[in-house]
Amino acid sequence: MKLNNYFPVIASLFMVLASCEKDLPTHLFYGTYTFSSTDEDGGTWQTVLLTSAEDISIPEPTAITSSEYLQELEEMKSEMSKMSDDDKEAIKYWTDNAAIRWNEIALELIAKYNIIPGPNADGTYTLPNPNTPEGPPAFPFAHPPYAVRALSYLSVAQFDGLITAWHYKYRYNRPAPFQQDNNITYAYTDNTIPSYPSEGAVLASASKNILTAMFPLEADYLEAKEAEHLRSLQLSGGYVHSDIDAGKVIGEAIALRALERASNDGMKNAQTSKAVSDSIADAAYERFGWKWINQELPQRPVGLTPLYGKVRLWNVPNVEATRPIAPPNLDSEAYLEDVKILNDFADNVTTERRRIANFWQDGLGTYTPPGHWNEFANKFIVKYKLNPLRTVRTYAYLNMAMMDGGISCWDAKYYYHYPRPIQTIEGFKTIAGTPNFPSYTSGHSVFSAAGAEVLAYIFPQESEMVREWAKEAAISRVYGGIHWTFDAYIGTDQGIDVAGYTINVAQADGAD
Amino acid sequence: MNNKTIFFYILAFMLFTRATVLGQTPSDAILMNREQACILFDYNYGSFDQYWEGGLLRENQTIATVKKNTFMPMMAVGILDNLNIYVGVPYIKTESSDPNGGKFAGASGFQDLSIAVKYRFYHKEAEKHNFSALATVGFSTPVSNYLPDYMPYSLGLGAPELSYRVIGQYQLKNGLYARAATAFLWRGYAKAERDYYYNNGSYYTPWMDVPNAVTIEGTVGLWTLKNSFQLELNYLGSYSTSGDDIRSYNAPQPTNNIDMDRVGIFAHYYVPTIKGLGIVAYHNRVVNGRNAAKISTTGVGLTYFFDYRKKQDENETK
Repeated sequence: MKLNNYFPVIASLFMVLASCEKDLPTHLFYGTYTFSSTDEDGGTWQTVLLTSAEDISIPEPTAITSSEYLQELEEMKSEMSKMSDDDKEAIKYWTDNAAIRWNEIALELIAKYNIIPGPNADGTYTLPNPNTPEGPPAFPFAHPPYAVRALSYLSVAQFDGLITAWHYKYRYNRPAPFQQDNNITYAYTDNTIPSYPSEGAVLASASKNILTAMFPLEADYLEAKEAEHLRSLQLSGGYVHSDIDAGKVIGEAIALRALERASNDGMKNAQTSKAVSDSIADAAYERFGWKWINQELPQRPVGLTPLYGKVRLWNVPNVEATRPIAPPNLDSEAYLEDVKILNDFADNVTTERRRIANFWQDGLGTYTPPGHWNEFANKFIVKYKLNPLRTVRTYAYLNMAMMDGGISCWDAKYYYHYPRPIQTIEGFKTIAGTPNFPSYTSGHSVFSAAGAEVLAYIFPQESEMVREWAKEAAISRVYGGIHWTFDAYIGTDQGIDVAGYTINVAQADGAD
Repeated sequence: MNNKTIFFYILAFMLFTRATVLGQTPSDAILMNREQACILFDYNYGSFDQYWEGGLLRENQTIATVKKNTFMPMMAVGILDNLNIYVGVPYIKTESSDPNGGKFAGASGFQDLSIAVKYRFYHKEAEKHNFSALATVGFSTPVSNYLPDYMPYSLGLGAPELSYRVIGQYQLKNGLYARAATAFLWRGYAKAERDYYYNNGSYYTPWMDVPNAVTIEGTVGLWTLKNSFQLELNYLGSYSTSGDDIRSYNAPQPTNNIDMDRVGIFAHYYVPTIKGLGIVAYHNRVVNGRNAAKISTTGVGLTYFFDYRKKQDENETK
């Protein structure tokens, strides 16, 4: 037999290979769509950080008949005629609802920085330091409390920024270039939303500034993203230079306001010294007769952000108002019953339970549970064709509710200081990584329930489904072996309770 | 950690063993080859307490020492004079030593079914030496629902693999031989149980692109004790053609760019008193790598050669 005889076989194998190569999605694929509303009164909606849209002022735009404006129009057309392939790709990527892209950029940076610092050679741990962000370890460690806070400030700044933009859009009513000149083809679906100031420019500037503060090592990356986005606005045929400049003014001003709040919200004190951490643990031990102890090797001296429960809330008046009842004593029936359940799940890892534990794990190196709920929001935003203003309103309430949920959860975690299953069940093994903070209540459960409640409010058609998801996310932690059932069930109730405060605010903001 | 490569190497051992047997029994080997089969029962134990995170060799008390036990039945069948097929599927159990900081459950189950076809396309006999050239095409795919996205305990890479291998062997009549081989391993996609992962950027899919790899192998060996004992020293280099690094103090994932250099020793003894029975023993260790476990593996096995068509009389068999 000759080798030649095998050539057809080998050739067909290579063809099979070629057809197997997949195009793996790195962002949500969506095209331009007709917005389900324009929200002419959007400028009157209640802002979060600003008293009202009038807090930020921009110059009155020149008339569309003025020589300045006509010159800007010509400049825009000239730039459009010189578009490169990269420019065309950028227009396709950013779309006319670029809030989703900035949200994805935030999620990507969270995943990139959600890396827990490892031990040094001598068994000590070094924490990331915002004053020397290069590290090692690099700043920040974008764990769930950090992530949801970054998403909150980003979304709130975007929301107030776009309310401000809408206020001036419908005050000045400057029509978009493609509305005035038939020779200009808009890259996206036509709409009647006035172009001054550009909402895209608000998003670009505000998002770049917030994210640069949250992820200082990404300054260059974010600046490049902002520049690409701003350029795509002009090349889309939707905005002249002064539309974009005015948007940038708003974006920068609102970012400043948001970062001012962030710098004084208590986050910088959340990671405590060992002395403070020990005193918190001892207080719980005196009160309840138990305390959570980190099981890692080498042992981490301080849990994750013991004082995150004291960070400034968005919509809950005081954190104690949402503190759940105490978990069961370690010799109670309820506790012993849970030990049985956890042992049973550990001994019988079914395909379904493993899938659920992994699907919701959102652990180290990922966008975290709050990130997962932002991804769900993105899909619904496209499905229901929200305009940019309604898009960022969704993010703002979603992330405020989840951050309040995180704060409330952390308050409970360090007030009760309840042990994890691996601490109290002898020889217990898990299929998910046990995090570095007390068990009760489950962060996943609180984040997910709070997120689901806000999505159920914004997208009532999806309410049943998202609430089921939140319950599954909660029980996934029990399947993973890292939480008690009461951590999950009571955490779910806690998230629903916390989200209620944010939804009350949302219902009164003028958008409904 | 790179179970598949290790498995293929064991498989390659078998290919070579067969080829060498051919070379050692000049007159009746060809006939026997066509109608002979070999069964291998292999057990090996591997462990590591260090691994390369990118290029940095480190320890990690979260996983302490990772232990891996592998049982593998395999069968080789001579179809034609110069054509053999091989089938095997390993059962693997992984776990960490105690104490460890992670308290992770290990994993166990059947890994990947492998099928390979080997063809000897060139053979030249001379007075004092001979030379053979062979090619193999192999395919493997997971046969259980093990989770590849559970490193370092996952049983395998979780992706289908096609391997194309070329082998050349030069052997002296006094029993000394040298062998070189190179392979290209095309790997498909592993499916995680999550919809999002980071691989130098966001991926919104459970599918993970497992990098392809090239391997090079070099062996020197000796047949002695009247051709009943074979001893060889071997080297394997395996290099991914793409992929990302393990991130700092983070778990590996199937998308990683895995490189490794491994050296080993292998012995095969044919028990003279029991026709067809052989004993295999080997040891190898990874000595250099990138995103790879610094794993040492020791294995033993039994081989049994038999004629699957009972036509030959005693004189025609070995």
